Amino acid sequence: MMTDRLLGATAIAVAAIMLMFGYGLQAPFAYEPVGPRAFPIIAAAMIGLCGVILLLKPGKSAAEPVGPIAAIAALSGCLAGYALLFQSLGFVIATTIFMIPIAMIFGAKWWQGALTGVVLAVSSYLLFDQLLEVVLPAGPFGGIV
Amino acid sequence: MDTFNYLMHGFGVALSPANLLLAALGAVVGTMVGVLPGLGPINAVAMLVPVVFALGLPPEGSLILMAAIYIGSEYGGRISAILLNVPGEASAVMTALEGYPLARQGKAGIALSLSAWTSFVGSAIATLGIVVAAPILATWALAFGPVEYVALMVFAFACLTGLLTDQPVKAMLAIGLGLAISTIGIDANSGVYRYTFGSPNLVDGVQFATVVIGLFAISELLIMLDTMHGGMTVRIEQLGRSLFNRAEMRFTNMAALRGSLIGFFVGILPGAGGTVASALAYTTEKRVVEKNDPEGSRFGQGDMRGLASVEAANNSASNSNFIPMLTLGIPSSGTTAIMLGVLTLYNLTPGPALFRSQPDLVWGLIASLFIGNFILLAINIPLVGVFARMLSVPAWVLVPFIVVVSAIGVYSGKSTTFDLVLMAALGVGGYVLRRLGVPMAPLILGLVLGKILEQSLRRALSLSAGDVAILWSSPISVTLWGMAVAVLLVPLLLPRLAKWRQKTSLQMD
Repeated sequence: MMTDRLLGATAIAVAAIMLMFGYGLQAPFAYEPVGPRAFPIIAAAMIGLCGVILLLKPGKSAAEPVGPIAAIAALSGCLAGYALLFQSLGFVIATTIFMIPIAMIFGAKWWQGALTGVVLAVSSYLLFDQLLEVVLPAGPFGGIV
Repeated sequence: MDTFNYLMHGFGVALSPANLLLAALGAVVGTMVGVLPGLGPINAVAMLVPVVFALGLPPEGSLILMAAIYIGSEYGGRISAILLNVPGEASAVMTALEGYPLARQGKAGIALSLSAWTSFVGSAIATLGIVVAAPILATWALAFGPVEYVALMVFAFACLTGLLTDQPVKAMLAIGLGLAISTIGIDANSGVYRYTFGSPNLVDGVQFATVVIGLFAISELLIMLDTMHGGMTVRIEQLGRSLFNRAEMRFTNMAALRGSLIGFFVGILPGAGGTVASALAYTTEKRVVEKNDPEGSRFGQGDMRGLASVEAANNSASNSNFIPMLTLGIPSSGTTAIMLGVLTLYNLTPGPALFRSQPDLVWGLIASLFIGNFILLAINIPLVGVFARMLSVPAWVLVPFIVVVSAIGVYSGKSTTFDLVLMAALGVGGYVLRRLGVPMAPLILGLVLGKILEQSLRRALSLSAGDVAILWSSPISVTLWGMAVAVLLVPLLLPRLAKWRQKTSLQMD
């Protein structure tokens, strides 16, 4: 009930933002009847309509179990940290540092996590960067590590 | 005859050492991924998108690899369903219904080999069906102009909302979000920047791989936290006799055949993949058995016919999914939508013209489906014990592995922190949406079809100088609009229809 209403309200907000930034979209030289504005507005209308329906007629909420909030927040935080520091720390260091807590969230002891992190970081660096030529960030100690 | 020549040509492509190796690799990786609970074909294919580019594969090679992974994980999904009662994906839920009771009775080996065999039967029948139906449909679809395409895509979206879920509004919301994401970036027709908010990272749109990996692979990890409840205990039943005998095969032949046909036709419909097919096959088989052989029915307690029909239907549908994707350029499932997205990354326009302009690609893919199924049957019967051992890989190894491969995949595209952050954000956002009941497959379909839909719409309206009436000006488009409306309205009317019938029958009594 409540969650559907919240989803509906968010959808309406998204649609409003899309309209706000989409309404001014106009081609300097229009040589076709439908410009760049129409389609985003159609999409916004669709999202907004769904939002209104959800707000007015929310469905029954699914009673599925939600995992421990702390674990979900921790995993989200680790993912964000990994994404932000991937480039500046370099692949090997960032992977080692962030995979330890992620493994521990999923039940590893600290040394199991450390082992996973190191093995994963080094082996995938060798496989992707050296063998498959996917350039990965080397980080501050690039020459040594 | 023409078809036969093309097919032979396709086998020439698929049997080249490189492509054969890709098909075999895909089959093994796909089965392994399918075994792991929670990781379905769509996650496997999503994570593969950037890897395919990193390998520098030609388009036919990458499609062959992805297709092999896709059908391989459909094979693998049955293993965890039968052994652990944990379906690896939605379409394996029905497999567990009959497969797990069989395993409890010490017949796990029989259930596994029999389901591998019926999976093969289903796939083989569907692949034959592709060979027959796809060229005809492609020729027919060449008559499609922008007007018909608009109607066809609306029909596909209607199917997704009408058939897929019990919450059509949320599916529609997902489509809308997908369409919205597809508008980000520079507009090809006018050069206007749309929703880039001044960021150079958004000028050529959001990277497809980033969206797919974030919404599927990353959000799946958070879903895993919900379903884990502090460590799963893996207790695998004894396998018992490992191969079914001839009597059991004869016992299930008709069930497998019925399941294959149901799966084939359901798989062609946009939006209805293996999940709908296996559910429909299961209920049909149950009804048939209860009518003809009421004493012999063991449904719910491990009936081999139920297992056979479900697995045949599931695999048949995942193969016939390729028909609308190849002929019309309209994917009918999330997984084929990703493959279609990959085609567009190669600058290939999916659609009927593909049969003419890219015979290597189309027929090579079809031939490799045949070959892939043989490989899958060959590895799935003797090696089932090895694959079952995948189930004992702990989550704390699996999850970091998925995170690292995902990050490398996303980073390999443009090498920006922006894409990595977007991946993490979409992962969390996708998790929240999924928890709120918003399905992700329609979103991907909206994203993949958004650009094509917009182009078709604008081209159609250019033809008519802005008159909207052109959208329902041809018989094909009128039919498609009608079908779209029907698909949307029938589920709305059905409960009322059922209630009305009940009322009238009560009055009759």
